[in-house]
Amino acid sequence: MIKSTFIKEIRQLTRDGRVATAFVIVVGLLAMAIWISGKRYHAINQEYREAKSTERAIWDNQGDKNPHSAAHYGTYAFKPKYPLSLLDQGVDKYAGTSIFLEAHKRNEAQFSMATDQTGLARFGDLTPDFILLFIIPLLIVLLGYNSFTKEHEMGTMALLKSQGTSVVKLILGKWLAIMSPIFLITTILFLIAGVVLSNLDDFGVFSWESLGVLFLVFICYYVVFTNLVLIISSRVKKSGIALVFSLSIWIIACLLVPKISSNIADTKHPYPTRQEFAANVLKDKLEGLDGHDPWSKQAKQLEKEVLAEYGVDSLHLLPFNFDAYRMQKGEEHESEVYLKHYRFLKKQFAEQSEVYQGLAAFSPFLPTRFLSMAIARTDYATHWNFADAAEDYRVKTQAFLNNNFAENSSYGEWSYRASADTWKKLPPFEYAPPKLGEILSTNGSNLLILSTWLIVSFGFLFITIKKI
Amino acid sequence: MIITDNLTKQYGEAVVLNQLNLNIKAGEIYCLLGANGAGKTTTINLLLGFLKPTSGCAFINGLNVDENPKKTKRFLAYIPENLMLYPTLSAVENLEYFSGIGGKSLKKSELEEFLSQAGLQKSAFHQRISNFSKGMRQKVGIAIALAKNAKSLLLDEPTSGLDPKASNEFGQLLENLRGQGVAILMATHDLFRAKEVATHIGIMKNGQLRQEFDANNLSLAELEQAYLDTMDYKELVQ
Repeated sequence: MIKSTFIKEIRQLTRDGRVATAFVIVVGLLAMAIWISGKRYHAINQEYREAKSTERAIWDNQGDKNPHSAAHYGTYAFKPKYPLSLLDQGVDKYAGTSIFLEAHKRNEAQFSMATDQTGLARFGDLTPDFILLFIIPLLIVLLGYNSFTKEHEMGTMALLKSQGTSVVKLILGKWLAIMSPIFLITTILFLIAGVVLSNLDDFGVFSWESLGVLFLVFICYYVVFTNLVLIISSRVKKSGIALVFSLSIWIIACLLVPKISSNIADTKHPYPTRQEFAANVLKDKLEGLDGHDPWSKQAKQLEKEVLAEYGVDSLHLLPFNFDAYRMQKGEEHESEVYLKHYRFLKKQFAEQSEVYQGLAAFSPFLPTRFLSMAIARTDYATHWNFADAAEDYRVKTQAFLNNNFAENSSYGEWSYRASADTWKKLPPFEYAPPKLGEILSTNGSNLLILSTWLIVSFGFLFITIKKI
Repeated sequence: MIITDNLTKQYGEAVVLNQLNLNIKAGEIYCLLGANGAGKTTTINLLLGFLKPTSGCAFINGLNVDENPKKTKRFLAYIPENLMLYPTLSAVENLEYFSGIGGKSLKKSELEEFLSQAGLQKSAFHQRISNFSKGMRQKVGIAIALAKNAKSLLLDEPTSGLDPKASNEFGQLLENLRGQGVAILMATHDLFRAKEVATHIGIMKNGQLRQEFDANNLSLAELEQAYLDTMDYKELVQ
């Protein structure tokens, strides 16, 4: 009986011109999104390859140079490329792809794609994640809004009931008929993605596991939408009303709740503006040691302490270059200041995330969006993780350079030049992104919310059966 | 095959069916006549299990409908006044679906055979139902009943809106089903068709069965008179 209903529904869907048109449009959009992602891949890859190969070469070949000059010369930490970012670019477009690492300063990531685009880019890109998150649920609405209402409108419900039809089997047949084309489109998209991404040997490490989990997340999301659309269709009598209600659910879940969540999160736990942040950092920096200023109160205090510690009365008698030592101490103070202020940003981020999770009870879109970005390694958490690793590398780089300066020269010897092979001794920046297991464990609440949506929507669907 | 025992349906104070007693055996066609609101459709809905009786019982194939709503549907087929099928599917596909949900998986040749038995012309088998007249749809409905091998058939105003030829063909189909031992209950306004096909006729008014006849012992004129008497039309005319 499930099979009969499934075949009948599929026949009806394929013969309905509107559904066929919608299907063709979605497949066309999907093809276009894949093409755009392909273009993006080539653009990113070319920039990345050029930047990464030249940057390290420039660093390694600085020649004889004062280490502190090298510290100011700086280097770059490049965010690794994640193959799944071609499916869901998440915040990458806005968060930037590389961080300039220099003395005294923790920089933000730069070279975001959004900065190179016009204001129209704010309307969103036609990317696979846009199709997966917004368009396919819309297709589910179009496929399923009249699943039951058409039976009332065509007058076939009475005949169906007179056959002794099991409503559970009837619903399962209709459910399968809606989910099958959705499952097919999603599977084809993910298979194409898997085959293409696993063959890109120059775009990060591809994991079938991550792709599989991402696929499951989206299937759960679509199941929730299918259940909601079927619940509505079984509870109202007219297709027009069912369509309005189903579209309202789509608007609320995919557009309204995310926007409202964002506004509430921003209002309740605001980030400081860039200017405020810079002013706060500067204020704290000025309250501590400035490595470049030997005349400040803090520098004089450090001098006194070091002389006492080594039992000498002149900086020239110290076994290291005190200028470099002071600069390292200044660097440590500055990194503490940055740590404090970035910790605050992360606290705000964590609290904003809690707001999103609280409001995810009103939208299956939110947990899906966050899980998708996390699995694709394009969420804010991964970006923070990368930025922290880059900062850690910056601090270690400064220590490496200042220590070289301090240990190989004496006080006042600003003419010291480290040999050309010194720079190669600095290990390159290596960043290991969080593994899938870690991502899933840190996104446990999103998984829980999506699972709750799944279970509750099935529950409601089967409760409505009794009313048919 | 189809039995009602003091079957009663009330909505609040309003009694729409009052202690109806019917006993339709295999191979009998019972026509229920009556004006709108007489209780004919309510009777059918109670036999289908769409409504719960206030008191009394309905039985299909010896099973209480209220206690065995699913089981009893296995033995009966139903053709409503305006039989609606899936317009984008063909006759064969509609029959395939309704047989399928009844648990029968039939081959294409078997489906065509049932449609043929129901009197549908061959050229219409694979046409979409959206192009069908009411008479053609009724034939698909009969084919559904045939495919289901239903022991009881409930018909609600099946001939209303049919042209005389289609109505006559429909009558012949019912005769065939009767010959196969199917118990048929037909609610209708059509006195002529009732006299043509019925073995028994009942006249209902205000939820009550007022008169019952053996159709063989009754002329059309007598039936018409009995109907008018029951409905008090004479008084109205005077």
